[in-house]
Amino acid sequence: MTIPVGAFIGVSAVLFFLGVAGVLIRRNAVVILMCVELMLNATNLALVAFSRRAGLPDERGSVFVVFIFVIAAAEVAVGLAIVLAAYRNRPTVDVDEVHAMKG
Amino acid sequence: MSSEIIEQALFALLTVGIIGAAAGVVFLNRITGAALLMAFTFFCMAGMFLLLGAETIAAFQVLIYVGAITVLILYGVMFTPQGDRDYRLFFQTQTPWAALFVVPIAIFVFVTALFAFRDSGNAGALGSDLGPLATSVFRDYAFPFEVASVLLLAAMIGAIVLVKRDED
Repeated sequence: MTIPVGAFIGVSAVLFFLGVAGVLIRRNAVVILMCVELMLNATNLALVAFSRRAGLPDERGSVFVVFIFVIAAAEVAVGLAIVLAAYRNRPTVDVDEVHAMKG
Repeated sequence: MSSEIIEQALFALLTVGIIGAAAGVVFLNRITGAALLMAFTFFCMAGMFLLLGAETIAAFQVLIYVGAITVLILYGVMFTPQGDRDYRLFFQTQTPWAALFVVPIAIFVFVTALFAFRDSGNAGALGSDLGPLATSVFRDYAFPFEVASVLLLAAMIGAIVLVKRDED
């Protein structure tokens, strides 16, 4: 118990904001999906840290980590399907060039 | 005492691995390399879960993230080949604005996280997490668990419909 829970939350915050930065600044749609996965994983770390260190008899936080695993798998499957459908329409994964539905 | 030093050294090593590899995902211009660095981030995160005593979550992390999601992303990279581009074209034109907004919020949240929980939440882990996790999932959260499986089924059907070619 030498590492305080704040250190885990700090790592989680840094990883989350790296993911935010990646989503905001990258153009490649596949890389944007990867950065969303990084953000979800940062959330998992925070949930597990709180869940393990809270001293509760059950693992309520870790249950939500399992749900986030499910959401992440669904998100990456549907996201890649959308990217592939857009790529088949026009061979690019640059989100700046996919603007057929732009008003 | 020596186990504490080993624990702290492991934590520092995993932190460097996670942050370094995640920065590589954001700033590397080779997409396959970014995908593999993402897998490395997930692997280091599994080590972090082990450090917290959550072995079951660590096993799920390796199985689902390092295994399944990395393979999916790599297939996505393989199916969408791109020509060589200028490095500055890898980033959006809104990058300075994004940095302007992200960096102050990130610093604020990081400092808050590091100091707000300094003295709290050190009650200690209570052995393995498999038993409590199974109790929670299959008793208190049994219905959300089933809903999650329906969500996975819907996502699978949706992905198939989205990429299906119209043959007729």
